Amino acid sequence: MQLVIASGKGGVGKSTVTASLLYLLKDEYRFVAVDADADAPNLDLLLGVERWEEERELVGAKVARINTESCIRCGICQERCPYDCIKVIDGDYVVSELTCEGCNVCGLVCPVPGTISLDEVRSGVVRKTTTRYGFPLISAQLDVGRPNSGKLVTEEKEWAKKLMGELGLKHMVVDSAAGIGCQVIASIGGADLTILVAEPTPASLSDVQRAYKVVQHFRQPAYLIINKADFNPGFTALREWAEAEGIPILGEIPYDRAIPRSMSMLKPFVEAFPDSKAADAMREIAERIREEILK
Amino acid sequence: MQIAVSGGKGGTGKSTIAINLAIALREHYDLVLADLDVEAPNDHLLLGVELANEEPVELFMPRFDYQKCTRCRKCAEVCEEHAIITMRDGTPFLMPNLCSGCAACEIVCPVPGAILPGKKLMGHTYLTETPYGFPLVTGRLLEGEERAMPIVSRAKKRAQGLEKELLMVDTAAGTSNTVSKALEDSRLIIAVTEPTPLGIHDGELILRLAKLMEVPAMVVVNRSDLGDVAKVREIAEKYGAEVIAEIPYSENIIRSYVEGKPIVLTDYPEAGLFREIASRVVEFLGGGE
Ligand code: SF4
Ligand code: SF4
Ligand code: SF4
Ligand code: SF4
Repeated sequence: MQLVIASGKGGVGKSTVTASLLYLLKDEYRFVAVDADADAPNLDLLLGVERWEEERELVGAKVARINTESCIRCGICQERCPYDCIKVIDGDYVVSELTCEGCNVCGLVCPVPGTISLDEVRSGVVRKTTTRYGFPLISAQLDVGRPNSGKLVTEEKEWAKKLMGELGLKHMVVDSAAGIGCQVIASIGGADLTILVAEPTPASLSDVQRAYKVVQHFRQPAYLIINKADFNPGFTALREWAEAEGIPILGEIPYDRAIPRSMSMLKPFVEAFPDSKAADAMREIAERIREEILK
Repeated sequence: MQIAVSGGKGGTGKSTIAINLAIALREHYDLVLADLDVEAPNDHLLLGVELANEEPVELFMPRFDYQKCTRCRKCAEVCEEHAIITMRDGTPFLMPNLCSGCAACEIVCPVPGAILPGKKLMGHTYLTETPYGFPLVTGRLLEGEERAMPIVSRAKKRAQGLEKELLMVDTAAGTSNTVSKALEDSRLIIAVTEPTPLGIHDGELILRLAKLMEVPAMVVVNRSDLGDVAKVREIAEKYGAEVIAEIPYSENIIRSYVEGKPIVLTDYPEAGLFREIASRVVEFLGGGE
């Protein structure tokens, strides 16, 4: 089974919840964890990973380059670039490598053959390790300024599937990126269900609603975990929304200083502070996931 | 003139800092705030306004006229996104989700009219007046669409079009090319981070991006009592950036957030921190009018 944990908004505690959930399920289930937030991966940090067993470079991103020698400075490329990535610097037409999407439109419209080339560049790395808890983790790190590619996530999931076959694992748990863009779509696509994590604030509600639309797009069931549940007592709209949409609420985790403290210790909070209120709530959630989802 | 508020990691309080800084800077500049976190735009919620003046962002999407198409497959070959598949006889089909709207297929198609310019809605931009004396431009990606770049670029243009003295952009988290697009042309980046291992890790990435883009950066440490600020200083120094403010974890900030009243307008002591950040920015930019 492939389950995804998503939130829409960053910083609502999705990865800390994921790390603790993995910790609580590790003895009973055989799974591979995937950190699909290639832009800002942090599951490895939360699980205390110190080294990677295997790293693969991912090339595939492309950027255009202009040869200033043969360029006749007609400006057609700049006019036609759909993303405004071509600038004139000291009279030369130059592609901004950090924003180019590699579509090659400039190369197609340039009247001087060979002036614009489309070069492959590294987009990041995909890597694998075995965590100290025994389960494998696949993670990725996008290089700074590269297209925020869903391809990296697809690559990660493929590697994870291979590992499942090799090691006889039953489940894949994907910690998705924040937002609703290509990485999130690549995470949710092909999964069996999504667990949404949100906090009771208008911003988090608005973002989780958007993430839920992506889940609906793939016709998957969704569940909700409310984090920092007592943080904003007057705010009931999150619960009301979940109830109106028929999204089962797996549980509520109270705001607890144990969570940020555990993050500084680089440990899941259920491991670092097993007696905390948050850990109690997390264990109840894990129990419901055992009973209702992983059966 | 443009400045940017950015932060490696989501949830560091970047938007809270952006809106409070915008309010504080309003006294020095005629400004516009642009929320370019198009996957999760929230500045309007923090400012307590409803998005207004919606404009669609539409992208080119090829439509094939199969009467005219000669099945030469050129369109499929040129598509970097592999959004066009061809049948055995060469008939092209579009997979709309993969299409980036670049129009390369239309450019190479040798048969006039075989590819028609269809359109697909990617999201919207908004221009909203706020009660704080500056407008807010927001970009918002449609759910189910993958490509943030066109929305970022269009929203930024809309904000630039207002020709204010200062354009302040609030970027998405991370360091992908949509963040670079938002940062582009900035005179200064305010990098918001937390002193936790995660925050430091991601904060370093944003400083690296700033360096690559040759934009000077200043660091604001949010929730500064949650970890080791000395480590943030170390990283900042490595990239030639200065830590200009430390904002401790504060119930007052949370309360003002929950009540929808920007902290900089309250009498809480934290308000002073934001005014301080604003004056550092003004000093850096060489004063207001
Ligand atoms: S490859 Fe595409 S995005 Fe890059 S510069 Fe050329 S036209 Fe612009
Ligand atoms: S289209 Fe070609 S020749 Fe014209 S400015 Fe661009 S690179 Fe130079
Ligand atoms: S517009 Fe660009 S991405 Fe879309 S089908 Fe044509 S070449 Fe491919
Ligand atoms: S390039 Fe034009 S003619 Fe050739 S297959 Fe594509 S649509 Fe048909």
